[in-house]
Amino acid sequence: MIKIENLNKIFNENTKREFHALKNINLEIKNSSCVILKGISGSGKSTLLSIIGTLLKPTSGSIVVENENIAKLPDLHASNFRAKRLGFIFQSYNLFDTLSVKDNVSIALIPLGFNQKQIDEMVLKALELANISHKKDELVYNLSGGEKQRCAIARAIVNNPKIILCDEPTANLDYDNSIIFIETLKILKNLNKTIIVATHDPIFDNLNFVDDVINIKNGIICE
Amino acid sequence: MSEIFLSNEIIIYLFTQIILFILLFIAFYFSTFIIKNWNYEKTTSKQYKLEKTSYLVILIIFFTLIVKIFLFPYFAYSLDNLSHIIPGAMCAAGVIKANNYGEILLALKLIILFCIGVWLIINSLDLKEKIYPYTKRKFAFFIFIFALILIETTLDILYLSNISTKEPVMCCSVIFGVNSTGNKIPFDLSISMLIGLFYLIYLLTIFTNIQKVQLINFLVNLFFLYIAYYSVTYFFSTYIYQLPTHQCPFCMLQKEYYFIGYFIWSTLFLGTFFAIVSFVVPKLTNKDLNYSFKYSIFFNSIFVFLCSFYLLRYYFLNGVFL
Amino acid sequence: MKNSVFFNFLFLLLSKHKSKHIAIFIISILIVFLISSVLFISNSLKKEVFLTLDNQSDFIIQKINSGKILDTPTSWIEDFSFINGVKNTQQRVYGQYYFMPENVYFTIVGVDLFEENTNKNLKELLKILNISDFLQKDSMIIGNGIKKIFDKYHYFDSYDFKLFNNELSNVKIFKDLPKEANLVANDLIIMDINLAKKILNIKENESTDIVLNVPNNLERQNIKEQLILKHSNIRILQKETLKKEYENMFNYKGGIFLILFIIVIFTFILILYQRYSMISSSDKKEIGILKAVGWSIKDIIKLKIIENFIVGFMAFIIGIVISYIFVYILNAPILKNIFIGFSNIQNDFILNPNIDLSIIMTLFLFFIIPFLSAVLIPVWKIAVIDANESMK
Repeated sequence: MIKIENLNKIFNENTKREFHALKNINLEIKNSSCVILKGISGSGKSTLLSIIGTLLKPTSGSIVVENENIAKLPDLHASNFRAKRLGFIFQSYNLFDTLSVKDNVSIALIPLGFNQKQIDEMVLKALELANISHKKDELVYNLSGGEKQRCAIARAIVNNPKIILCDEPTANLDYDNSIIFIETLKILKNLNKTIIVATHDPIFDNLNFVDDVINIKNGIICE
Repeated sequence: MSEIFLSNEIIIYLFTQIILFILLFIAFYFSTFIIKNWNYEKTTSKQYKLEKTSYLVILIIFFTLIVKIFLFPYFAYSLDNLSHIIPGAMCAAGVIKANNYGEILLALKLIILFCIGVWLIINSLDLKEKIYPYTKRKFAFFIFIFALILIETTLDILYLSNISTKEPVMCCSVIFGVNSTGNKIPFDLSISMLIGLFYLIYLLTIFTNIQKVQLINFLVNLFFLYIAYYSVTYFFSTYIYQLPTHQCPFCMLQKEYYFIGYFIWSTLFLGTFFAIVSFVVPKLTNKDLNYSFKYSIFFNSIFVFLCSFYLLRYYFLNGVFL
Repeated sequence: MKNSVFFNFLFLLLSKHKSKHIAIFIISILIVFLISSVLFISNSLKKEVFLTLDNQSDFIIQKINSGKILDTPTSWIEDFSFINGVKNTQQRVYGQYYFMPENVYFTIVGVDLFEENTNKNLKELLKILNISDFLQKDSMIIGNGIKKIFDKYHYFDSYDFKLFNNELSNVKIFKDLPKEANLVANDLIIMDINLAKKILNIKENESTDIVLNVPNNLERQNIKEQLILKHSNIRILQKETLKKEYENMFNYKGGIFLILFIIVIFTFILILYQRYSMISSSDKKEIGILKAVGWSIKDIIKLKIIENFIVGFMAFIIGIVISYIFVYILNAPILKNIFIGFSNIQNDFILNPNIDLSIIMTLFLFFIIPFLSAVLIPVWKIAVIDANESMK
């Protein structure tokens, strides 16, 4: 379970450009649930996602995941947490264009110290689940938008994470690919993963596997 | 004096020392900030910045240790080469004794290597914890090491500029030899008693390492280091050179003896290092280091094996002892 | 973490960042090439010279008068050979002959062909000589540099030396020395000792100097004193002293080079630092991706350092190989003359391959340590980039 208490994030503190992105966020996300963070651009949902993903450190407050406050973890432990427990899917995919699909997915496993055989196995499994194993040796450069997103999904799940964070995943996809993406999310939910999606895409309204919709406006949760 | 400074190896040695010094100075500069302002509990961006700079300091110290480990035998090698242009010296022993600074410099270099090793162990313990508990202590210790290195660099220059190429120095047969008036074996022991003590203390170190009694193990290992130095110089070295009158701790570093000297001294150093670390680190961090006992036994055993190997080889080849 | 995926990724990164690395790569090769050539040449020369020097006698005795060196009377040979511990006392005759058309000096060495020569170098050169043929007429053996000059002036068979009494002495050119001897014998003319004395205007009962050997090195100091007792107006040169002076001279020249090189390396460090500190936005994005996927700062530092180390290391290897080819196979066209000097006669000597591990280690330290030091801080700067900002 992810428990967020009194989370605050202020950018450029004590300068003219001070910006209070998140104000006193209190949130509880149960295990294996799927949560949508809804809000327009600039509402703070991406910031919240980044802080949950330990890519950003909060100004104050705590995030407790399985009895551990991950908000202030030092780098070694934070990256360990990310490598073992988290999977990211970004709006702009964030893949290495000059590497193949297989290599892009393998990168996530390097810090975990597996040997070559294990890595190959896990990568293959992830590629199949994301439905992109037929393009495993293709350079990402040559893929279409939907295929790139599937590659990103494979990378996000290859390390068998408990939590998957998606930041505007369908923003660069057309309608068909967005539907495919949502289908994949359903599969992941059935694998008991906790999924948090930050989006303002209306396609996520009224999905039956979504447990909770949280609206964020100006850094505060509203109902 | 200029001949010393123009010797190729010395130029490169000094050049490397200076580069390391510049890097360490940068690390020192940042360490002062870290010590002043480090507060893990705070979540200001300043604190996060400090965390990032601490990684830089750690990186620099890591790099420095590796380079200094290489530089130490290279220093011995360049001193060896200097013996060609210093009258009377035939190996590094004579060059070291050329003036008063030589022996202190050598000892200081060893101490610095020890300290950096201890620092790295404390660092790895610190990073394992989620709250980086030893950070302030760690960087204060680094400042102490930096002071030592400052002294070392000054001593380097003082030592090298005071080696005279006109006055002859004593060579090892005079310093260590059978008829020497120099360092005598401590407690006026005879050679056989010294060797007996050597093996006895070695067994004792194994025992205290297995028992993991920190303080006693530490003291016994230090004593072993002391006895081992004399044993190697006055007894085992004669079997390496196969000459009963050649007693010298430096000549075995040369090519003719397959550089065995580096192995012998480094295994002794490592064995003692791990024994010291098993005592010092718990004192500084309240954490026990159980693996270091094993390493101490391992390296001490290799050291004793190497020494005994030469002894036994001579015996089997020639049927008698020297 | 050390598995083929890592290295695969590493090499892909290397080729991706080619444009960043290529300039540094080329400059590195150049620097390594220059400095290893200098060290190789200096080392080979040193070894050759020392080999030659080793073959000399232990003591050289010259007669001096008010600071000037005079011809030594040969009667002194007997006086010296009576000292206990002295062996092989011999006279040496050598001098310079001015060859006006080219404005150069030839070195004439007189050899007593009937006596056992203590100088092993000369012994080697004369082994192949047919003495009776040589002595039939005034003959000489000439070095390569001299042969070239004689050929230029069409002295193919013999040459007329101008004596001090304005007579001419015709000397037949018997043989020329092989090219391998060029380092020591380029401007040498070897002839019979009496002929040499005639041409150099040395009296028959005198010689240029006297050499002797003292096999037991503990007695050398003692014998030096006895020599001075016998004849006080002499100067004694000891082989050991000569050795030290040569060593110092080589160190001096090599040392000056190294110091100049240090300036080059410092500049190089600054360039490296500048170049690798320029972090492009695609770099930032890469690091951001890696961090998001779970790479720690330590992992990224490791990756970047190995990446830069490979660039430096490859440049090092290539630089050394090119330098080896340049020095030992192409014979180092311009560089070697800096050590020998464009002095007397053009010398085309051959360098013998003579590298040992210590030179390679020295070069490695001299280049790789500054390289890595320059790279440390830029690598750290890249590794601590905030993942969040770089991915917006």
